Amino acid sequence: MRFTIFQESRKGSRKVNQDRVAYTYGRDTLLLVVADGMGGHAGGEIAAQIAVRLFIERFQQEAKPVLRNPLKFLQDTMLRAHAALGSYANQFSMLETPRTTCVAVVVQAGHAYWAHVGDSRFYLFRQGGLIGQTKDHSKVQYLVDQGVIRAHEASDHPDRNKIFSCLGGLVDPVIDLSRRTPLRSGDILVLCTDGLWSVMPPPEIATYLTSTPILKTAPQMLRDAEKRGGPDGDNLSLIAVRWGAETLADESSSTITETMGLGEFQTELEKTVTLTDRKGQQRDLTDDEIERAITEIQATIQKFRR
Amino acid sequence: MPVTNQPLQGGYQLLNYRIDRQISRGGFSIVYRAFDEAGAPVAIKEYLPSSLVLRTEGDVVRASSAENLTSFRYGMKCFFEEGRALAKINHPNVVRVLNFFRANETVYMVMRYERGRTLQQQIQMKQDQMSERFVRHVFMHLLNGLREVHTHKILHLDIKPANIYLRTDGSPVLLDFGAARQTLTSNRPKLAPMYTPGFAAPEQYREPDRLGPWTDVYGIGASMFACLAAFAPQAADARVQEDHLVSAKKIWAGQYSDNLLEVIDWCLRLDPLERPQSVFALQKAIRDIAPRKRKLTFMGNLKRVLFTEIGA
Repeated sequence: MRFTIFQESRKGSRKVNQDRVAYTYGRDTLLLVVADGMGGHAGGEIAAQIAVRLFIERFQQEAKPVLRNPLKFLQDTMLRAHAALGSYANQFSMLETPRTTCVAVVVQAGHAYWAHVGDSRFYLFRQGGLIGQTKDHSKVQYLVDQGVIRAHEASDHPDRNKIFSCLGGLVDPVIDLSRRTPLRSGDILVLCTDGLWSVMPPPEIATYLTSTPILKTAPQMLRDAEKRGGPDGDNLSLIAVRWGAETLADESSSTITETMGLGEFQTELEKTVTLTDRKGQQRDLTDDEIERAITEIQATIQKFRR
Repeated sequence: MPVTNQPLQGGYQLLNYRIDRQISRGGFSIVYRAFDEAGAPVAIKEYLPSSLVLRTEGDVVRASSAENLTSFRYGMKCFFEEGRALAKINHPNVVRVLNFFRANETVYMVMRYERGRTLQQQIQMKQDQMSERFVRHVFMHLLNGLREVHTHKILHLDIKPANIYLRTDGSPVLLDFGAARQTLTSNRPKLAPMYTPGFAAPEQYREPDRLGPWTDVYGIGASMFACLAAFAPQAADARVQEDHLVSAKKIWAGQYSDNLLEVIDWCLRLDPLERPQSVFALQKAIRDIAPRKRKLTFMGNLKRVLFTEIGA
C-alpha cells in the first residue's frame, strides 16, 4: 500500500480537547478512526480515548495479517466500545456514562469500508468531487430527510448539535456501515469532527486537499477552520489520506507499507490527553454530573418520604 | 497562618431556609440550625472540606488552589454518596434527609432537626455511672437503625458517642455519615479519612479492604465501653502494637451483667473475624440474656475506682 496521511486534532477555543484521532496500519491494511467525546469535560475525553484505543487494539489483534471481514470488524468494535464505556462508568461509579461519536475507516486490498455513529463524518473525494460520505445521526439530518427543513437551514438550526446515536448512550448505538468501495489512486479520504465540517463545506475541503500535497494544505485548512470557528470554536479534528503515491510533490512523504514485516503495525495516536484518569485515579465532577446527582437524590428523598 | 472557613452568618437566606446558627463543624462540613419557610427548624450540612476550600468572607466557596478545586469536586462526590445513602433510609433511629441542593458553589444537605443532646454530651454531663438499662435501651434501638443502614449496603465507619444523638424522649438517632464516603478517597491524602481514635476499628487504619459490618460493630463496642468508662478505649492502632485494653468483663465485673460486658469485649476484638459478623448477630447476643440487677460488690467498686483513676 502507498498513501500519504495527515492527522491533527485542535482544541479550537475550548478548554479541553475531547476529540481523538488515530490511525494504524500493517503491510496490507489500514485503519483510521476519529472520535468526538461528549458531555462533562473528563467524561468526553475518556469516552473518545477509550473508543479510539479499542479500535486500535482490536485491529492489531484481528488483522492477521488482514481483517477477514472489515465491515463486521467495524460493527463489532463499535458495539464493544459502546459496552466498554458502560462498564467503565460502572467501574468508577460515574454518574454519567462517557459518550462519544465515532467514525472509522478500513482500507484493505484496494477497497475502503467505513462505519460511523453520531455526527463525525467521512468524506471520499475523487478528482475533486464527493463520491461517498456518511450521513449524520443527528436531529437536523433527520429533519432534512423528512423535508421539514432545507439542507442549508441545518447549519444554524438550534438543534444542530443533537445526535440520536452515540457510543456509551442509554440505548444501543445506530451504526451505519458502508459498502465495499474500490479506491483509485489519487482518491482523498477525510475523517473529521463537527468542529471542522461545520465551518468547512466539502467543496472547500476538496479544493484544499486535491490540488496540492496534503501534508502542506491540510494544516492550512485546519488553521483556517479554527479561525472561522471564532471565540466559540469547537474542537476540530482531521485525518486526511491521499490514496496511492503522492504525485504532486516529493515522494518521500508517502507511506510505503511493502517494506513492513507481516504482523507489524505502525500506529499514530494523537495524545492530547488532559485526563489523569487511568485506574481509579481522581477525577472531578462536572457541573452536569453534580446536577444529575442532586436530582437523583431529591427523587430518592421523595420516593422514600412517608 | 491557619485560616479557617467562615460559617454562614445568622439570618443568611439559603434558598428557602434561613440560617440561625452554627451547630457543629467537622473537617468536611459545617452543620447549621436553620428554619424552613414554615418556620420549622432543620439541620443543614454544608460541604466545606477545610483543607481544600476557603471562605474568608461572604457566602461563595472558593477552592484555595486549582489543584484543590479538583479534590474539592471529587470530595463532593462523596458528599453525594452520603446523601444518596441517607435518602433511601427512612428509619426512626437514622437521621432523615429532607432536601439536597446546590448553592454558593458547594452542596447542602437538609436534615430533620432533632432536639436533645449527643451521647457524648450525656457521658460528659453524667456524674454517676450509666445504668445498664439505659445503655441497653440506647444501643438496642441504635442497632435497629444501623441494621437498616447495613441493609442498604452502607457502612457508617465513624460510630462514636458524638455521632449518636439522644432525643429528649431518650430514643437514639445515628448521625453523620460523613465517614461512610471517605473510603472512596483513601488514596488521596488531602481527603484522607479522619477516624476517631478509640472508636475506629484496626482495619480502618491499615486494611481498608477488610471493612465490613464488623467494623461498625467495633465502633458500637467502643461506644458502649465509653458509656461505662466515660472515656474511649485505647486506640486500635496502638492496641495492635501493644494491647493495653483491659476487658470490660474485668473492669466492671459485678456492676453490669456478664452478658453486656461479654458483648462489649466481643465487639472490641482486634481480629475482625472474631467480632460479631453482623448487627443481627450482635442484637441476638445482647438479647440472649435479660439484664440482671447486680449489687455493687466491694471489689467491683474498688476495681472501677482504680481503673478510672489510673486510666487505660
